[in-house]
Amino acid sequence: MAKKIYDVLIVGSGHSGGMAAHTLTEKGVSCLMLNAGPVADFEKDRTTKAAHELPYRGFGKPGEHPHIFQANEFNANTWVNEKEAPYSHDKDAPYNWVRVRLLGGRSLFWARQSFRLSDYEFKAADHDGFGDNWPIGLADLDPFYSRVEAQFKVVGRKEGWKQFPDGNFVSGPAGASADSECVKRLTAAAQKMGYGVSRMRAAMGDGGLASSVNLCLPGAVETGKLDIVPNAVVREIKIDRNTGKAAGVCFVERHSRREMEAYAKVVVLAAGTLESTRLLLNSGICNSSGALGRYLFDQQYGATVVAAMPEAMNGKARPGMIGGGVFIPRFQNLDQSRKLNFLRGYAMPMGTGSSPDAKYFPAYGAELQKLLDTYAGACIQGGIYGEVLPRKENHVRIHKTGRDAWGIPTLHIEARYSENERLMAQHAADTMEEMYKSAGFELLVKSTAVNPPGYSIHELGTARMGDNPKTSVLNRWNQSHDIKNIFVVDGASFVTGGWQNPTMTILALSMRASEYLAEQLKKGEL
Amino acid sequence: MRRRRFVTALAATPAANALLGQQPGRTDEASKLTTISPDAAALAVPRFFSAAQLGALKNLCQILLPSMNGNPGAAEAGAAEFLDFLIGVSPLERQTLYRKGLDTLEADAKRKYSKPFAELSAAEADPLLKPHLAQWTFDPPKDPMKHFLTAIRADVRTATMNSREWASAASSGSRRRRGGGGVGLYWHPVDPTRAL
Repeated sequence: MAKKIYDVLIVGSGHSGGMAAHTLTEKGVSCLMLNAGPVADFEKDRTTKAAHELPYRGFGKPGEHPHIFQANEFNANTWVNEKEAPYSHDKDAPYNWVRVRLLGGRSLFWARQSFRLSDYEFKAADHDGFGDNWPIGLADLDPFYSRVEAQFKVVGRKEGWKQFPDGNFVSGPAGASADSECVKRLTAAAQKMGYGVSRMRAAMGDGGLASSVNLCLPGAVETGKLDIVPNAVVREIKIDRNTGKAAGVCFVERHSRREMEAYAKVVVLAAGTLESTRLLLNSGICNSSGALGRYLFDQQYGATVVAAMPEAMNGKARPGMIGGGVFIPRFQNLDQSRKLNFLRGYAMPMGTGSSPDAKYFPAYGAELQKLLDTYAGACIQGGIYGEVLPRKENHVRIHKTGRDAWGIPTLHIEARYSENERLMAQHAADTMEEMYKSAGFELLVKSTAVNPPGYSIHELGTARMGDNPKTSVLNRWNQSHDIKNIFVVDGASFVTGGWQNPTMTILALSMRASEYLAEQLKKGEL
Repeated sequence: MRRRRFVTALAATPAANALLGQQPGRTDEASKLTTISPDAAALAVPRFFSAAQLGALKNLCQILLPSMNGNPGAAEAGAAEFLDFLIGVSPLERQTLYRKGLDTLEADAKRKYSKPFAELSAAEADPLLKPHLAQWTFDPPKDPMKHFLTAIRADVRTATMNSREWASAASSGSRRRRGGGGVGLYWHPVDPTRAL
């Protein structure tokens, strides 16, 4: 077969890869997409089952997914098998690396919470002196956010708050339903404390699915400009020794272990934050700054506070009394004259009208059942989406001897939360407790614990962007400072992450980088 | 070796189906046949815990989740027998937590009542269990007995509420519904990597 050279080779098929393919093919750019896993068939691969029909009654095979707290026996087959694709961490510093290699990646399963970053995140260093700014700001990304929000059909309520930028929302349930009495009391209590209360912002997508496989890839395939190869586990980026530029990639066919090479004028990495960085590290490129693999961060989700609305207890809830949710975006450290004992901030998602989990009560037998009956449908549950500081010492590196099932060197992850994250979690829990009590609710549970890093499935950084090639891996266009025909369009490029689910930002960055890439290709600059 | 190569080559030919056995063209008949789960026809054989540990486990399960409101309890759901299997295939750390926890309860029962934990009434077991109850935290309690009791309280509920017996009760109109017996959307393995 004749050697085929694509314009662009995209590694990964999740939101970032899907958006790159969508944007590039729309502009007539020929693309090859390599995905490490197979294509899932939502009809054939899923069945409704009762837990007792499963081999482990819903518990899942013990020890199968030790790092994936979200795994259960129903979804166990969707996650990456750690025996095939292992990674390591220090024993005293666990890291939950949660991966999906099906075509579409984690975009198949995300919670669809859709937020923009604000300039409190893009220009965080200007605001509080810690770390670095992004080389771009909200104004740079605003038009791309708007297009992504339209494509993903994001619903939300406009608030006009600088730290919670409004989006190009479509009309939908997020702003439509009337507040319950419980939500009104919670809102009043929050406002009394100086917090604004909004609603969750979410991507409606199509039929409840807001994935690469239904919103990005079909259009790209329709152009006739996209070829997709599943089961292609990429080993490294191939560099042309004469030009110093990327010439393509070497990959291993997943089933047969056949070694292959694919060629393109440009390589776009969209394999998911740590897989993209692993690929660069294994290729021994794009690290003149020494920043590759460093500044790993995510978001903390640990703190939890549960309360009950007394009027709704013992089955006395009537229509309109309880139900619905509130969303309180970051209100901490916005005003530098009122500094707290931690940097940055967090948001608080709260749901009302739920029943408590039995684990919350130190009881059993009839006593436990009585408690569950008492609080059924009367609970308010709040949590934290907290910013984690990007620190150089939190990093990934290639393990000296570890290899995956395809002989590709594995990652060692070294990440620890700091006092800043712990103080933030404590503050969030204290705030929720105060809010609940002020609203007249009965406190049931208060946990200030932080989760293990990685738990939020929002790993970010490790190939951050910046204007200075000495301190950053990518430029403001998600393009390698060192090798101009390599782009990284996933979460690896983040400089800070804020508290916001990063998906909208990843999509917007990928769209923006891809348009730039297409222009550069046209000009012959790549 | 030569024979092996011949068989491998033969299997790759279109005529191989005729030689290697029946390869039905229609496969939809078998899927129409009704089948039942092994739990509907047979009893699990406990193999992991000692007799004393299993006795303590059965009584503990029943105390933690007795039959209430028309729903089956842990005993009816075979929770102890299921946990014997589950813990038996679990990592060593989990196995040790359970074995030591059950041994401690057994020793406490003999010390306080001069009889095995398996023979205690719920009222007798309370003074042995309640000091080990812990308020929920994200991380499990550091105290081994508190950790054990936290773990088994959750495991017994899951083993019971995800049982066939619970599902049957939940679907029965004459009984009060408490969940649907853990019905969910199950993902089959999607083209799993083939071992070479």
